[in-house]
Parts: sequence; C-alpha cells; structure tokens
Amino acid sequence: MQKEEAKGILDRTIAAAGGLEIEVMLGGGSETLTRFANNEITQNVAERRYLVSVRIVEGKRTGRATGNDLSKAGIARLIERAAAATRLSPEIQELLPLPGPQAYREVDGFDAATASLGADARAGEVGKAVARCREAGLEGAGIYEVRAGTIGDYGEIGPLAMANSRGLSAYHVGTSAEFLISALEGTASGWAGYESHRAGGVDGGALSARAVEKAVRSRDPKAWAPGRYTVVLEPAAVADLIQDMSWISFGALLVQEGRSFLAGKIGQKVMGENITLRDDPFHPLHRGSPFDSEGMPTIPTTIIERGVARSAVYDRQTAAKEGRESTGHGLPVPNTYGPLARHLVLEGGEGSVEDLIRRVDRGLLVTRVWYTNVVDPKSVTLTGMTRDGLFAIEKGRVTHAVRNFRFNQSVVQMLNQVEGMSAPVCSGGVVCPGLLVRDFHMSSATEF
Amino acid sequence: MKDLARLALDTAAARGASYADVRAIEFNREDIQVKNGEVGGLDLSDSAGLGVRVLVGGAWGFSATDDLGRQGVERCAAQAVEIGRASASLEHENVRLAPEPQHRAVWSSTCAVDPFRVPLERKLDLLFRIDAEMRAVRGVKNAESFLSFQRKRQFFLSTEGSDIEQTLTRSGGGFSSTAVSSDDVQRRSYPQSEGFHQALGYEFIESIPFVENARRIAEESVALLTADQCPAGDHDIILEGSQLALQIHESVGHPTELDRVLGMEANYTGTSFLTLEKKGNLAFGSKLVNLVADATLPNALATFGFDDDGVEAQRWHIVRDGLFEGYLTSRELAHRVGETRSRGCVRSDGWNHIPMIRMVNLSLLPGSGSLEDLLRDSDRAILMETNRSWSIDQLRYNFQFKTELAWEIRKGKRVRLLKNPTYQGITTQFWNSCDFVCGPGEWKPWGVTNCGKGQPGQVAEITHGAAPARFRKVRVGAGYET
Repeated sequence: MQKEEAKGILDRTIAAAGGLEIEVMLGGGSETLTRFANNEITQNVAERRYLVSVRIVEGKRTGRATGNDLSKAGIARLIERAAAATRLSPEIQELLPLPGPQAYREVDGFDAATASLGADARAGEVGKAVARCREAGLEGAGIYEVRAGTIGDYGEIGPLAMANSRGLSAYHVGTSAEFLISALEGTASGWAGYESHRAGGVDGGALSARAVEKAVRSRDPKAWAPGRYTVVLEPAAVADLIQDMSWISFGALLVQEGRSFLAGKIGQKVMGENITLRDDPFHPLHRGSPFDSEGMPTIPTTIIERGVARSAVYDRQTAAKEGRESTGHGLPVPNTYGPLARHLVLEGGEGSVEDLIRRVDRGLLVTRVWYTNVVDPKSVTLTGMTRDGLFAIEKGRVTHAVRNFRFNQSVVQMLNQVEGMSAPVCSGGVVCPGLLVRDFHMSSATEF
Repeated sequence: MKDLARLALDTAAARGASYADVRAIEFNREDIQVKNGEVGGLDLSDSAGLGVRVLVGGAWGFSATDDLGRQGVERCAAQAVEIGRASASLEHENVRLAPEPQHRAVWSSTCAVDPFRVPLERKLDLLFRIDAEMRAVRGVKNAESFLSFQRKRQFFLSTEGSDIEQTLTRSGGGFSSTAVSSDDVQRRSYPQSEGFHQALGYEFIESIPFVENARRIAEESVALLTADQCPAGDHDIILEGSQLALQIHESVGHPTELDRVLGMEANYTGTSFLTLEKKGNLAFGSKLVNLVADATLPNALATFGFDDDGVEAQRWHIVRDGLFEGYLTSRELAHRVGETRSRGCVRSDGWNHIPMIRMVNLSLLPGSGSLEDLLRDSDRAILMETNRSWSIDQLRYNFQFKTELAWEIRKGKRVRLLKNPTYQGITTQFWNSCDFVCGPGEWKPWGVTNCGKGQPGQVAEITHGAAPARFRKVRVGAGYET
C-alpha cells in the first residue's frame, strides 16, 4: 500500500473518532511463497491482507480493537468497540499519554522488482534448484518467499503506518526475499539459505549446489561421544542462539524485573572483549522499520560493547521509569512483555567460515541448529539440536559427518569463549558472523 | 460470505481449475490480560476473508484476500489458478485426491454461554481476583493472568458439491506467578502452562477453580527459589497430565503427520522417524500405550464436523497396545499408505493460509488407578508437573523437556520439592519404558494452542487427553549437570 493511501486511511480514522485521543496502526501487505519438496512444488500461495488497530486513550484508561474491514462502517465499528473497551477498563497507573509528532530516518528497504515478482519467476528459480538436486540423486525441499509490507513469519502483522490524534505520523514499507533449501538423502541432509530485501540476489542453482554438497558430505555419519567441543558455528546457527537470547534478555522490562542476565550488570563486563552486539534497523543488511509500535523512532542501541553490558532496549514506559528516552523498541500498548530488540547485529571479523575451520585442530562444524528453547533464563542456557550438516573438523579440514547432537549451552558463557569470527551476513533476521567457540556443550546424541 | 465463496469457486472453475475449494471465514477474538494489578492487554479483534485452493494441471495453487468486493474475490480466484499453472510448470506427479462423499452440513461446537456476550467487567473481575490472590504472597515478582476467546465461522464450498458451514467457539484462560532472585527465575502456572482452553463457551471458564488455586501456585513459585536442584541421573519419572500432553504432541503427534513422513516439511519442521515400513511393525511403546486420534472428542480444540479437505471427522488408533498402527492423513496423501479414504486431518489456521495436515486431538487412553495409587507403587521416583520448555530433533527421536516443578517421591510420599527438573530421551525407548498409566478419574483433556508448522507458518490448537503415567529409568538433569 502506497504512503498516500495509508495516510488517507489513518487520517479518516482519526477524523471519525471525533476528538477522542486515538492511536491508529495500519499493517499488512502481500506475501507470496512457493514451497517445494521431493523436487516438486507442493504448495504455492499468495496472500493479501491489511488490518487496522485502533487504540483509544481516556486519561489512564485505554482499550484496543483490531479488524480488517477498512470501510467507513468498519472503521466506525472499531472506534466504537475500542472506546467501549476503554471505558470499561480500569485505570493503568503507568499509562502514558500519546506521543506527539516524531522525526524518522529514511530507510531504503523497498525494492519494486521484488514486490512485483510473480509465481512464474519463483517457479523458475525453484526449477533450477531442484534440477541440481535431481542431478545429484537427492531430494530438494525448501521455499522461495517474497513479502512486501509487514506480514510476519506466522501471519502476525506489524505497523506499516501509524498516526495519532496528537499529530504523530509514520510510514515505512519494505520488501523481503528468502530462498531456503534442504537437500536430502534419507536422513543425510544439507542446507543453504539467502535473505535480503531484494529478490534479485536469489540464485536457486547456486544455493542448491551448496545444500547438495553438504548433504553428500553428511552421508554415513560417525557417532561421537557427547562432551565439550571446539565448534565452528555457521551464521545460521549463531543467529538462532542470539535471537533466543534477545527474547529473554535485552528488553528493559526484563532487566527491570530482574529476569534478564543483564539485571544489575549494566557497565560490567559480561562477555569476551571481542563481542559487540547492537540493535540497528539501519544496518544495510537489515533495512528495517525506523519506528516501533508506539510510533517512536528506533534509535540504534549498543547492548554489549566489547564485552561490557551497555544498555537494554526501551519503550516509552520502561524509559519513563528510569527517566530516560525510549529507544523505539516498543510493542503495541498496553502489553505485558515490554520492549523487544528486532534488528540484532553481532559484529564480526573479515574472513570466511572456511578460515575459522582452518584454525581448528579437532572440533565440529555446525551448519545450523533446530528447536532451540530456554532451559535457564538467567544464565541464558538454551537447548536445541544440530541439523542439516554436522561435521568433524580435524587438523583444519572437514573430514566426515558426525551424528547430530543435542546441546545444552549458556549463550552468555559461549560469548565468553569466542576465539574467531567470520564476516557477518544476514541469516534468520539477525546480522551475525560465523563463530569459532571453544568448550561448546554437546550433551546427548540422537539416532542420525 | 457464502455468496462470495460461491463467486470465487465459480471463477476458479471457469478459469480452468480441475478442482477448487473455497473457505470464507469470519473470525472474532477477545484477549484480556492482567499483570500486577493493571490491565496488561485488552484487544478485541475481527477478521474476514477467503482463501481459494485449486488444482490446475495436477498441481496446487492458493490465493487469499480480504478484499471482499466482487472484483477482489474474482481477482483472488484468478490468481490462485495462475499460481497453480506456475506450480504445474515444473515436472511433477499429479495430485490425486482420495474420494470423499459430497457433504452438505451445518456443524457447531457446544457453547452454552456466549463468551462474547459476557460483560467485560465480569471477566476483568475474575482476573483481578486471581491477581490479588497471587500478589498477596510475599516474593511474587510478576502475577499474570489472562482470558482468551475466539469464534470462527467458516463456509466451505468445493467443486465436488460439498457445502459445509461450521462454527467453532473456544474459551480459555490461565495464570502464572514468577519469583526472581539474583541468579534465578522461577515460574508456576495454572491450570497448565499457556492456559487451559476448550471448545466451549464461558461456562468452561466458570468451571475452573482459578481463584482457589492462585495463592498455592504463587507460594510454589516463591518456594522454588530456595528448593533443591533436581538431582541428575537415571530416575523413574512420573509425568503429570499436562506435561504428558505435550510429550504426546511432540513425540507422537508430529512424527505421525504423513506430510512430514513423506518429506513435505523437510526444510522447516523436519521429517519423521516413523517411515512407511514401520506401520504395523514398530513396537512404539509398552503394552500400556494406546494413543487415539479423535476429531470427534467432545469439546476438544481440534474437534470439527469436517476438516478443511471437506472430510468427515473420524476416530482411530495411532498406537494400539504399543504397536504403531496409523498416520494422520489427507485426501492428497492417503493413497501413499494404501488407504482409500483420508483420515480428515487437514486444517488451516485462517482464511489466509492454505490447508495442510495438522494434528487432530490425540490422546493417551487411560489405564487404571489413581495418582495416589501410582505414587504408592513408587518406591523412588520424581514427579514432574507443568511444562516450562521443550525441544525435539527434526526426525522426532531426541527430546528434552523441562517442567516448572518436581517432587521427590520416596515410598509413595512427596518428600522434597525440587526445582529445574529436566528429562531427555529417545522417543520409542521412552514410550517403551512406560509401566503405569493412571485411570479415567485422572484423565483430562489438556491442550496445546501454539503448535507451529508450515511455511508460511501456521498455528494450530489441539487437545491431548492424558492421565499421569510413569516411565522407568529416564535421564534427568540435562542443562544442570555440573
């Protein structure tokens, strides 16, 4: 949806509220996805969806109504329902008045060719990918997904445009393209992925070739005993671990409530000196939204600087508690979760993952991890499985496949044991490098 | 909405679809949260739209829209056909749908008290009473409670002549207490983690003793901060019903989804160790293990009249007396396991997503005896209650769970509160170690409301009935071993 059309809907909503204190969020867009498995297209979908979420504020009371009927009557109904909910809601003592107008940095995250990419073009890249798999006698499975707007991975919708009755007005539209492929032969598998705001960089054949190479190498895995190993984690694996750590650690409410490992540690060294971790939507590999769900501008925030805890990320309410400004990481108000870092950047080095492998005498190469979950929040101990390519590294070379492991590992401890980093890439929504880590805890083996 | 569905169906057929179905859906939801004496969220949401699924040249296309004008609907149907043609442009085996009788039906879940007509004040009053009980306990950092209601009204039309209207209302709620120290965060929740939900009206909420349990749960969260660490090692463990429900979900439900078995989820949620030759041949569990898929279970989350393939709801054994017997199937894939009719396991989470194989209700049938009988039969064991975290590999062999709380059992008595209990195992070894399943008096229809699968991701809700059960010599303590 173009800016003028979005602004028109928001303006009409505010006008229809007849002087009520109102915040309006418009979100949505389009999502198309071609899914393939067993070297065939198995699902091929397109979705167009928008919603409007209206929040009324009356002093310390607030209520929200959300719907996808953008007609005049639909908007009027939303306002009516939000106003009724507001009147019935008890006062929220910490509720803040709506913010006034804000200034936003421009982000060039929209690619018109990506937004208009059709099913035929997606089928073309998928065709190249599955051809490689067929040549190798493997089964290819994956997706080619293109989005324009703010529909998330599970259909959740973020703000495309926001406005309120105090004059705040924000708009950002971006595109994204993602091509993921697994190549399989029985239980042996390999994986490769690409993500960017531009579909132009998708090369289904090349990605497939990488996945095929990994799958072929994954044949006949040897069983290694569980234990602590030096590991090279490829960026996809690092991203998963960093993202999980963020969800339970970096929001200011988690820190204020004492639930984050950062509680009481701001200004202290908590990780190795080689670790600098930021949240930055303006990073060229992110190109994310410059505002949050309160309409506040997102300010790049250094969370860890050379191993020292510097700051959590804030919304207006957690910032007000500490007498500081929001960093623009708020979720829709009110909420029980607090602010959230959405554009993580773990700074890296300059070399490749292969450079890291060359430095390992005996260890493991981890392609990616799967089904991570929190075991212990204060130590950020996560469990999960290795997946789609776990390999032995011996004397600087990948020598053979290893049966997959379950790990139980504190990510904070891991980031105190980093001995090398490759150049960062964007994977799984996180900009991060591959890491060379010592003493990574592989706690049990599985059957393949 | 039905007229729009008809328009979409006719457009798809006219444009060349050899088969088409349309689901037009109106969706209402109400979510209310209270945290530490304040409203933490109050959102009333509606959504309406339709999704068109077509077969063109033997391949699938799907398009969804919330533009419900005539042109928007026609455009959506035309796009579905266009996408189907793109799918068919690659080499493929033509989709073959298992036959299903034409159905013309209206179905609705039970709803005695419409939750959307219950005044908001009454709902908030309940949550604030729960909240006050929890916050009366010294040491509680966060008291959180919620209620959630949703209604889905769906029209399904297909080019085979099926015409089905279904209305599903579900109500749910729960609460949790969190206690924090400088190096620990402990949580207790009730009735289970993520709340307890059923396909019923507000009468379900009023049947649960939320307020009566709030203080006990809060006290337990605080007590856990100073409780002993659950000892690592190989132990006999007893799983309370809601934890066992998630164990069923992850280690039985997902590996029996036929699309996973056949590689269709290989890039995302994975495949399955339950490959086709294991049907009828694998000792999945001990003789006590009987697992039944049942889309007809009264008031359950995945109970319906007809699935999103238009197939009538059914009940069948997945595991009978320990033997692995059957899969969760669709019209598209039933023939791959030699079956002539789909088991009716196809659902989508809304009008905007394509239907796919999702679990129907899957339950462990009760054995005999009470929980106290089971404890009396246990000289040494660890009783684990209420899930806190979960993880399983992509073939569904190696799992690890953490529960909120455990009790050390000695000579049939709860002798010591334990914190941070985790257990880890391999699926078939674990189910074969089951030597006691409690009886019908302990069986409850627990549920999962956050099951993720598919690309784009979809969220499903499923009931898993279970009574407490015992498993011998399970590895305990992963993540906390020194």
